[in-house]
Amino acid sequence: MNKVQSCNIITLFCVLIFGFAVATLLSPDVEYSETENRTLAQMPEVSLNALTDGSFESDYEDYLTDQFVLRDAWIALKTDTERLMGRTSSNDIFFADDDYLIEAHTDTFTSDQAATNIQILASFVEKYVEIFGTDHMTVMIVPNAVDILRDKLPAFASPYDEGEYLEQIEEVLTDAVGTADLESMPDASEENILETSETSEASEASEALLVMNDSLFSGVWFDARSVLQEHSEEELCYRTDHHWKTLGAFYVYQAWAGARGYTVPTTESYTVETVTEDFEGTIQSKLGIHTVTDSIELYLDSSDPYYTVEKDGSGEISYSLYDYSALDTKSKYDIFFGGNNALTQITTRAGTGRKILVVKDSYAHCFVPFLLSEFDEIDVLDIRYYNQEISGLIEEEGYTDLLFLYNASGFAEDTSLAKLLY
Amino acid sequence: MVFSSLLFLFRFLPAILLCYYIVPRTLRNLVLFLFSLVFYAWGEPVYILLMAASILISYTGGILVDRMKSAGRKRAARNALIISLAASLSLLLFFKYADFAVGTVNSLSGLGIPLLNLALPIGISFYTFQTMSYTIDVYRGEAGVQKNLISYGTYVAMFPQLIAGPIVQYKTIDQQLRGRKETPEEFAQGIHRFLIGLGKKVLLANNAGELWDTISAMTVSDVPVLTAWLGLLAYTLQIYFDFSAYSDMAIGLGQMFGFRFHENFNYPYISKSITEFWRRWHISLGTWFREYVYIPLGGNRVKTVRHILNLMIVWFLTGFWHGASWNFVAWGLYYGVLLVIEKYVTGKYVEKLPGILRHLYCMVLVMLGWNLFMFGDLSKSLDYFAALIGGFGAGILNSETIYLLLNNAILLVLLLFGSTRLPKKLGDAFCTRFADRNVVMIAARGLLYTIIFLLSVAWLVDASYNPFLYFRF
Repeated sequence: MNKVQSCNIITLFCVLIFGFAVATLLSPDVEYSETENRTLAQMPEVSLNALTDGSFESDYEDYLTDQFVLRDAWIALKTDTERLMGRTSSNDIFFADDDYLIEAHTDTFTSDQAATNIQILASFVEKYVEIFGTDHMTVMIVPNAVDILRDKLPAFASPYDEGEYLEQIEEVLTDAVGTADLESMPDASEENILETSETSEASEASEALLVMNDSLFSGVWFDARSVLQEHSEEELCYRTDHHWKTLGAFYVYQAWAGARGYTVPTTESYTVETVTEDFEGTIQSKLGIHTVTDSIELYLDSSDPYYTVEKDGSGEISYSLYDYSALDTKSKYDIFFGGNNALTQITTRAGTGRKILVVKDSYAHCFVPFLLSEFDEIDVLDIRYYNQEISGLIEEEGYTDLLFLYNASGFAEDTSLAKLLY
Repeated sequence: MVFSSLLFLFRFLPAILLCYYIVPRTLRNLVLFLFSLVFYAWGEPVYILLMAASILISYTGGILVDRMKSAGRKRAARNALIISLAASLSLLLFFKYADFAVGTVNSLSGLGIPLLNLALPIGISFYTFQTMSYTIDVYRGEAGVQKNLISYGTYVAMFPQLIAGPIVQYKTIDQQLRGRKETPEEFAQGIHRFLIGLGKKVLLANNAGELWDTISAMTVSDVPVLTAWLGLLAYTLQIYFDFSAYSDMAIGLGQMFGFRFHENFNYPYISKSITEFWRRWHISLGTWFREYVYIPLGGNRVKTVRHILNLMIVWFLTGFWHGASWNFVAWGLYYGVLLVIEKYVTGKYVEKLPGILRHLYCMVLVMLGWNLFMFGDLSKSLDYFAALIGGFGAGILNSETIYLLLNNAILLVLLLFGSTRLPKKLGDAFCTRFADRNVVMIAARGLLYTIIFLLSVAWLVDASYNPFLYFRF
């Protein structure tokens, strides 16, 4: 390199390093990232202590990366380059057929936490099956898109088979139910249920469904996976988000209602309202690139039932399970329930005499609305935020039914399940 | 602090460049020294005292040795050297090997001596070897004494080579420390070298590492043969690109400040024998052991048995230098044995083989060597070896093997291409052809550097990118 060339290269290099350095200094700090859905690190305070123990240094690096200029554009550049390099996955996310972005959940199901959680769930079932009986207690763990849409994965991709994990749970739960002293339990069905008229009113078709669905139960375990696999060609999963679509929840509810002997709904039982077609979910956030957008559907009961909703015993009553203001934010899935909170209590006029406790993660948010016509009271509990004893709640409220509803990866990774046994 | 971080690229480097080139020439060593201290202290401030101690010991040692020698007191000079070396080495031994010694004593004797659990001070193996080379060279009369503490401190602590080498011998930069001239040509060459290194580290080594992480996380008894070899290949490429990238960045940064360090890697993976491999791999370490251990022991100018012993001593130490664990010792001795065999038994036969076979012979042995190196635990290496030869009966390949190969095909091609001399030859041919066409050269280089730079930053920003998703609430 001669002098002219050298000086030009030096100028370029200095523009790059000084340019981004100054731009990062000048750009105002952001507190919250909507795309990433988390608060960003802020400038740490300088103190002698923080400097000598190294915490200032690491906090400062977090601050610098979090507040780096054009953060989202850098992530997108990386993802785009990886796709150009012929990669069919990035950040543990598959670029699957039909524009599906599917999380692989590598290592999720083989971790110690995943094994521990099965044991915790077994103890939980063992503890409460004596109260509810197998006819009124359901454990549903919904497989993720990587399992339901296995056919859409890139060629030769072989992520962990979630079916294996679900089978482990089923096995352990069967043992747990077997150990529980079911003989001595009160016959909940006769004691608590005043009206069981629905079953007798059920049409012949739904009775056939009932017979089929009966095999979906094994003790308290309900095989949501088989139901979803039946319909795997349909739109059961979002393309950019980790949740299931309302249609998936509908099919599972339909099968479950059939197996339980409740009124079996058809699609005609609901008015389907598409509330948005611009939803970009959590998986899109992880990749930073824009591929397609999703629609969110609400299944509104055609009979327009009356109900009230109270959150966390606040005394404030609302009349809808849907929070339309969430549509103006990035987290549009929060239209269901308005996001996560500890305990949501719903009172209906179903008049069935049944009162259910739903222990759940956010997969249940689009499922719970289907319960409105079958239960007088629906208490929806997210133990991740609930800091009281669950046993106390169950004792006080006198539930007739219990539904445990999680998604498989969320269940395997959850670190707060021990609270189930409090 | 590491070079491949946003902190280094957008805070440290602009700041030191600005300060270094603003101050008058006489203060430049001081600027380098002070910034180097910050560089080292960042994240682990306490160990700066350890490095200061190491600097003071060898600085004083050098002055004493020089004074005794000038006074004609050879014995005293020798004693001063020995005390200084013993002090430097004991710091290294204590901080790097104490727990290993305690653990070994415990397992042999059944005692339960508590471990110290000291964090390994960053770069201690590198800077201790640098300071030792200085005092030895002063004693041997190969280097002049450095009486300016700032200049000497700059030599030891100089941030480009402080953490991972190359191990710079004092005598090679003595003149540069006393007076050097920074030129635009050198600076631009430094940028070239630094950015090549940055790209090698962030875009190639880290991605190879990701492939290796995926495979090493599998249950070893389930890994089919081809997957195991793919994993070993990924590690082999990762360690070369990682380590040589660090040397590239160090050499490049040195050039930006007017220093010229010796090369540390010379395309080791094109070697056709183990002897050749070690002439091309981590050259500064090999040179160090040759000059300060092997030759003083008599080198090869001794009887065969003694020569073999010398080689084994050197390779035992080389292995042990890499880490306080038996697998590194095994790795060192593995090369000692291979070199002895090559020298005394197979060498003349291997030379007659066609080049491609010699290359294959060398690379398979090198890769099996990395198998000893990569786990930090010998029993894991043995398990992985079993996977490599199909000992677990996990088959030749499965669909995951094909998936990993397909997904990393372009990356592997780039990595293999990058470990040969071809990219350099192509670059040189281009430069020769267009050397006088300023516009072409500036455009081509500018484009290449900008792409490497932007992509590296994208990967660095992404490495920290960890969306907090709502199912985790």
